[in-house]
Amino acid sequence: MNGLESEKRLLQEARELLNAGVENLDPPTERRLREIRIRALQAAQEQRPGFLSPRRWVMAGSFAAAALAAVFFLWTSPSPDPLPKTGQVEDLEILTSQERIDFYQNLDFYRWLEKKGAGPGKNGNPS
Amino acid sequence: MDSGLDHKEPLNRFLAEVEGRAFQMARFATRNRDEALDLAQEAMFQFVRRYAARPAEEWRVLFYRVLRSRINDWHRRTLVRRRVLAWLGRAEDEEDPEDALQALPDRQNPDPSEGMLRKEQRKALEMAIRALPRRQQQAFLLRAWEEMDLKQTAFVMGCSEGSVKTHYSRAVHTLRGVLEGKKP
Repeated sequence: MNGLESEKRLLQEARELLNAGVENLDPPTERRLREIRIRALQAAQEQRPGFLSPRRWVMAGSFAAAALAAVFFLWTSPSPDPLPKTGQVEDLEILTSQERIDFYQNLDFYRWLEKKGAGPGKNGNPS
Repeated sequence: MDSGLDHKEPLNRFLAEVEGRAFQMARFATRNRDEALDLAQEAMFQFVRRYAARPAEEWRVLFYRVLRSRINDWHRRTLVRRRVLAWLGRAEDEEDPEDALQALPDRQNPDPSEGMLRKEQRKALEMAIRALPRRQQQAFLLRAWEEMDLKQTAFVMGCSEGSVKTHYSRAVHTLRGVLEGKKP
């Protein structure tokens, strides 16, 4: 007999012995297992209401009403502060701009130039 | 008693088929009848609550996955409890001393002499399975007893197929000695 057959036979024997263990459970244990099974099935039945059960309709209706109220509230209420303050926009523009940083460092100089009538060019160079 | 559950008959039949095995698996893991009954109960309730609506061909692996999860939780709880008890200097929980079930007559086999031999073999095998490390025990019971393939066993155990192979072959190696040594 090769190793594979030997293992098959061994496992078959193990299965038979294990099955015999289940078949020979004592009556109180069998009874208890049966009770557990029946209670589990009853619990499953109780917790699974039908699709059109009143409870399910109430839950779905409540959810829909809450969602509608939320949409209505958001739609009708005025936005308290729709845009950030100007200063924040300016800061953001400065931070994200591709302009050379020395342009901003010399801002006072360009303001002075502007008062004189000659503004800076696109890259910060006086035109 | 089951008359009110006729429409649940497939689920009832499935649970009736696995309840004894589930109890035995839990008993191998816990070495305690009452703990095993509690675990079988938790597994059955959780299974029907979560998976009863799934296709019947999926039930077996899902049920044993739930049971395996309950057994692992039990191991974690027991470990914590033992550490606390050890810290408090108290004794640990008792295990089932000598399995009272083994003393019952074998209903399948009326020949007392043959029954005795089979009973001894069974006792030796069950003791050897109880002594296996947890993962080896699970791999052996799922592969050899439940005849699950590698993929199913890996799903139930929540590990890789390679890991199942390793645990299973180690378990078979250990149990081979027990079964061959106890042959009449």
